[in-house]
Amino acid sequence: MTDKKAANSGAIRAVWKLLASVKLTIFILIALAAVSIIGTFVEQNKPIETYYQAYGQKWADIIMFLKFDSMYNSEWFSVMMLMLLVNIVACTYERFPSKWRSLLKKDKSFDPSMIDRLSTRRSFTLGKNTADTKSHILAVLKKKRYKFQEFKAGDGTVSIFAWKGLIGRFGSDITHVSLFVIILGAVIGSYWGYKDFRAVIVGETIRVPDVDFHLRLDKFWMEYYPSGQIKQYNSMLTVVEDGKDVLNKHIWVNEPLFHKGVRFYQSSYGTAWNMVEEIEISLKNIKTNEVSKSVNIKWGGSAEIPGTEYVARLSGYVSDFAFDEDSRTVYSKSGEVKNPAVQIDIYKEGDLISRPWLFFNFPGLIQAIPKTDHDLILTGFRNLPYSGLSITKDPGTNIVWIGSGIMGVGFYLAFFVFYKRIMVRIKPGSDAEVGIAGVINKNQLGFEKEFRILVETITGIEEDYDDDLEGP
Amino acid sequence: MEQPKVILSLMFFTMAFAFYAMTTLCYIGNWVFRKDWMGQTATIMSYIATFAMTMILIFRAAESGHAPFSNLYESMVLFIWCLNVGYLWMEYKYKIKVMGVFVMGIALLSMLAASLLPYRFKSVEPLNPALQSKWKWMINLFEPAGLQNYAIGWLDFHVFTTFVGYAAFAISFGVAIMYLLKVRNEEKGGGNFLVERFPKARILDELGYRGIIWGFPFLSIGIVTGAVWANYAWGTYWSWDPKETWSLITWFIYAAYLHARVTRGWRGKKAAYIAILGFLAIIFLYWGVSFILPGLHAYA
Ligand code: HEM
Repeated sequence: MTDKKAANSGAIRAVWKLLASVKLTIFILIALAAVSIIGTFVEQNKPIETYYQAYGQKWADIIMFLKFDSMYNSEWFSVMMLMLLVNIVACTYERFPSKWRSLLKKDKSFDPSMIDRLSTRRSFTLGKNTADTKSHILAVLKKKRYKFQEFKAGDGTVSIFAWKGLIGRFGSDITHVSLFVIILGAVIGSYWGYKDFRAVIVGETIRVPDVDFHLRLDKFWMEYYPSGQIKQYNSMLTVVEDGKDVLNKHIWVNEPLFHKGVRFYQSSYGTAWNMVEEIEISLKNIKTNEVSKSVNIKWGGSAEIPGTEYVARLSGYVSDFAFDEDSRTVYSKSGEVKNPAVQIDIYKEGDLISRPWLFFNFPGLIQAIPKTDHDLILTGFRNLPYSGLSITKDPGTNIVWIGSGIMGVGFYLAFFVFYKRIMVRIKPGSDAEVGIAGVINKNQLGFEKEFRILVETITGIEEDYDDDLEGP
Repeated sequence: MEQPKVILSLMFFTMAFAFYAMTTLCYIGNWVFRKDWMGQTATIMSYIATFAMTMILIFRAAESGHAPFSNLYESMVLFIWCLNVGYLWMEYKYKIKVMGVFVMGIALLSMLAASLLPYRFKSVEPLNPALQSKWKWMINLFEPAGLQNYAIGWLDFHVFTTFVGYAAFAISFGVAIMYLLKVRNEEKGGGNFLVERFPKARILDELGYRGIIWGFPFLSIGIVTGAVWANYAWGTYWSWDPKETWSLITWFIYAAYLHARVTRGWRGKKAAYIAILGFLAIIFLYWGVSFILPGLHAYA
């Protein structure tokens, strides 16, 4: 029974050890790097047909099954990220408390015989007694901004522990914390943020999801290079709160409007498929083929047709005419201007007598005013451009930036602030013998030079050294 | 019809190319024949090459009116410039000229690659709307209303820091190869007199690490500033487009390197292999993604 328990806890211990190990970190990081490649070759978040066309039935099925089509949002990818977090937590829990304790402890006592075992060490005498030697060395250490603590042994041996850059040892911990903050921000964003797109026509006011204001497009225009290439597209936007205009901004690509946590980007443009600005129609006598003077009608407006008692009202537009037999409705097959058609309501003495569709490409296809000699033809129309606005809200963004800032601090401390330790032992006597050694856990090369200069400053004697690092 | 500035920048390119070839040869000569004058000549030529590269960047900037890294060719020039300045700084500090063979070798190969780029990657063209007003922010900074344009400045900063990172990684790539050669030679009990002239394995390991502790923060700043810009321009700071994903991939690899170095059994050789892998990923991030994968990034 106890054996089993021991074996059990042994197994748990082993799993915990694995979860807290840096080897697992290396493994997860390399694995994340490897699988992330897949999603850069398989296009992400496309309609299913795309994959069937590109890869064929069999491979597309596999891609769908493994969620390679949206892999960065897939459960298995999230699990891998989660593993990294678990790994950091376990690792931090396992080793950092003891690391902190040993770094932050007040009593820095050490075993002076350690000095003889370190490779970066020197021994010398200054020709002074123990007390004078000590105060001289302390003065140099102080000048080099070392903190220190001194110890005296029973036999009169004095030892000094000096250090600086202690905070550098916390760089890695701060980096690990920052990773948390960044991931937290990303998770918050994915839960409470959104991304939306609107095609807005000049003059239109749209509701903005989740917030208490509206947005109106006042103006939309394009700029061109002399070569005809599009240079820029622009929108003039107004924020409307409680029916009042509160903010006005000119936006273009890369220059968005930001209001109350929501961003509005100029992301595209196009022409409306269900509205036109204005049309031009003419009356045609089908007997004589005579076409009368044309008349313009604005969207939603009406006009008298000259020389007749007809009044025409512009009531509909589609850019790519199609008719659905089942619901008997007209719709636009695409957003492009392929088969433009307008619907006209024709009144005679106040009575609606006909509602024909007029085709720009096929004049006279259906007679506009049946049982008469008259037909209407669509001779021109002016498209209504729309401004494509992306609307995004991501409340996690600032947390991500804060996390990135913390990471910067962590990197600075981890990579550029080195924890340096100097240990000194001064034997008792009138010509006191000094042993001094230094320890650093990275940047050994730089430290060796610094240590040499330190010793030179103490002894006042320049060392004979070879700084040629090449070859044996 | 080419403009005079283009001709000047092409002239400096040719000059730099020649000097990279010569400096590499001199570094090799210094390595093989151990002649001091060769080493000194190599260093001088390397300074001249840096000067020529600086001139290209200046002429490009003057001509296009924006920061001189808006297409693949210009970014290559920037990369080589960073690589060279980084190397010269290291040579000044550590005085290890054999490293020049490898690092200037990489610079020379990069020059070759840049010169082989198709013309459309070299020409100075009007920027597409997404890259507009890249440089204007500097002027606008002094106007009260221009603060929002400041975000566009992130883009220049993003490109620049990224390339400092790439250059640092290139150096540690070269050093990692030297380290592996050195260790292999030691394991065989020596024998290769050329490899024996490399610094001690311990020193190479340390220098490789120093390259990466510069590269890693700069790559990270590059990723974050890129994200800041994307957030500003596209509305999301992260959209997993291939370029972004690949920069994260390289970031993962170098994070693995850092942890390999603090793990017993992974230090040394395995860490060096990871550094090599990391730089291969950088090459793909830089060239492969632009040529092979679809994405939002208009250039490197
Ligand atoms: C992407 C994720 C991670 C990043 C960016 C990261 C970053 C860092 C950095 C920058 C250092 C300092 C390295 C150096 O000084 O050379 C470091 C050290 C370290 N990391 Fe991580 N880390 C990550 C994940 C992890 C995980 C999951 C663990 C869990 C085992 C871990 C454990 C350690 C340890 C033990 C050290 C050495 C600490 C020390 O020197 O006292 N790291 N990390």
